[in-house]
Amino acid sequence: MALVAALAASHAPNILLEPGAEWEDFMELHYRMAPHGASSKPSLDAQQRLRREAEQAFAMLRADLQAASPDVLIVVANDQFVNFSFNNIPTFFVTLADEVKGQFTRHKFHYRVHKELGRAVLNAGMEKGIDFSFGEYVELQHTQVVPLYFVLPEPTIPILPIYVNTWVDPIPTPRRCYQVGELIRAVAAAARERVAILGTGGLSHFPGSPRIGEIDTQFDHKLLELLREGKGRRLADFSLEQILQAGDSEFLNWMVVLGCVGDAKASETFYMPDHVATGWGFVSWKL
Amino acid sequence: MSAYELNRLLFDLKMNAETYNAALADLNAVMQRYDLTAEEQEGLGARDPRKLRQLGAHGMLALYIMRLHPEFRGNIYWTQK
Repeated sequence: MALVAALAASHAPNILLEPGAEWEDFMELHYRMAPHGASSKPSLDAQQRLRREAEQAFAMLRADLQAASPDVLIVVANDQFVNFSFNNIPTFFVTLADEVKGQFTRHKFHYRVHKELGRAVLNAGMEKGIDFSFGEYVELQHTQVVPLYFVLPEPTIPILPIYVNTWVDPIPTPRRCYQVGELIRAVAAAARERVAILGTGGLSHFPGSPRIGEIDTQFDHKLLELLREGKGRRLADFSLEQILQAGDSEFLNWMVVLGCVGDAKASETFYMPDHVATGWGFVSWKL
Repeated sequence: MSAYELNRLLFDLKMNAETYNAALADLNAVMQRYDLTAEEQEGLGARDPRKLRQLGAHGMLALYIMRLHPEFRGNIYWTQK
């Protein structure tokens, strides 16, 4: 078969927190880290509007995913010190578990893993010079479950979690991530299953950095414009410095998706800075 | 110098309930489990993520010292990973 759908979406925790008390709690902690940003703190109305707009964007992505009838959803995300720490940080990691679980506040998640596709990616990588790490146990975290809550709320198909190191230096280049995407596209083309892929994270934000609270909306708009024009390949030429300067390190997860879609134009893009920490972005490619 | 032990303690505060509960009861005792410099112990004792970051803690881990602040112990942020 082939790649039948591709999506990319932010995974900021506040997307899945309820406007009101939960957002207030989140922001109270955030503004302790970034007191300079408190002047832009969104009102309850603004929080509710952001949630509605995110739900509308996710509804479009979910509809595109369902219309493509995939047999498996590859989820490309980064860890944030849940499964990996300084004793071992894999640059690229393929999950070979039977199942994966996770929890986000009161929401519990449990998906089967398409281990065979994972092995196919791993073996293809070994042949082509991309040596993935792999393992048989991971715990899902917000980087996966925030978008999964909206695009795959019921575990009707298995997923395949793949991790990219976007959070501890040194991180891979945009070009390398694009090459990983090209490899996945080739594996999907040879697979029996209808394969969909979701890249998560971003857009601009600076978690754990002195620049926390800044959002480079101009850079994010430029990225999304290139995706609408089908010029995502150009982003492989961006330097890591350009990406990091804009707070878009998690865009490397999206770069893997771009390597999969090649020159296809994004069919829908949505963007809304949350005025707290993150530029929320959502994209779908109909393939 | 490596901040591995400092980052390890912060990782355990995030991921290990026993470490977190023990630190709530007695952070000094928990610090003794790790090979920390005096400056790192001081930063942890001050529960100051900015100071910990300056000492080499990863920013995403330094945040977890805030779990020990009385006003943030019940924060919803800790109920997700």
